[in-house]
Amino acid sequence: MTRREAALILGVRESAVIDKIKEAHRRVMVANHPDAGGSHYLASKINEAKELMMGKTKVGASIF
Amino acid sequence: MAGKIIANLIVMGSAILGKAFIQAYRQALANASKSGVAQETIQNTIRRGSKVMTEQEARQILGVTEETSWEEIMKKYDTLFERNSKNGSFYIQSKVHRAKECLEAVHQGKGEGTPT
Repeated sequence: MTRREAALILGVRESAVIDKIKEAHRRVMVANHPDAGGSHYLASKINEAKELMMGKTKVGASIF
Repeated sequence: MAGKIIANLIVMGSAILGKAFIQAYRQALANASKSGVAQETIQNTIRRGSKVMTEQEARQILGVTEETSWEEIMKKYDTLFERNSKNGSFYIQSKVHRAKECLEAVHQGKGEGTPT
């Protein structure tokens, strides 16, 4: 998965801040939760997208 | 007199040179199609253009198995499509739609009734 695809999945910009990503992740996850008729595959993809977006953002924002 | 001859020579020379260039260009084109570089490029373009989803991925996206009936697939699809149009993402919605299209083709190929 590329960063571009991750941003598309979450429906945010590639340069979105952490708060935006978290909010978008929750929103998309609620819509696609496996317990409510969604699929596990999509849920894992959404989580993967969030991890990717968060990971890259964190590295850039690190104080070290 | 001498000037006329020189001019004639120059005109003839350039005509020959031009013909030679055209020949070389044709030859290069033929070589390219023979060597496969051009064909590879064409194939890559085709592959990129028709990047289709596999049946397996389509089933995973909709969360259905081989045994799931068409009605259930449609129900799943409707739910996911509706939810994603309300507060999901457009990308996932389009993925869901593609998955449904893919399964529809498979379903019609088997000839198990008419999908609606």
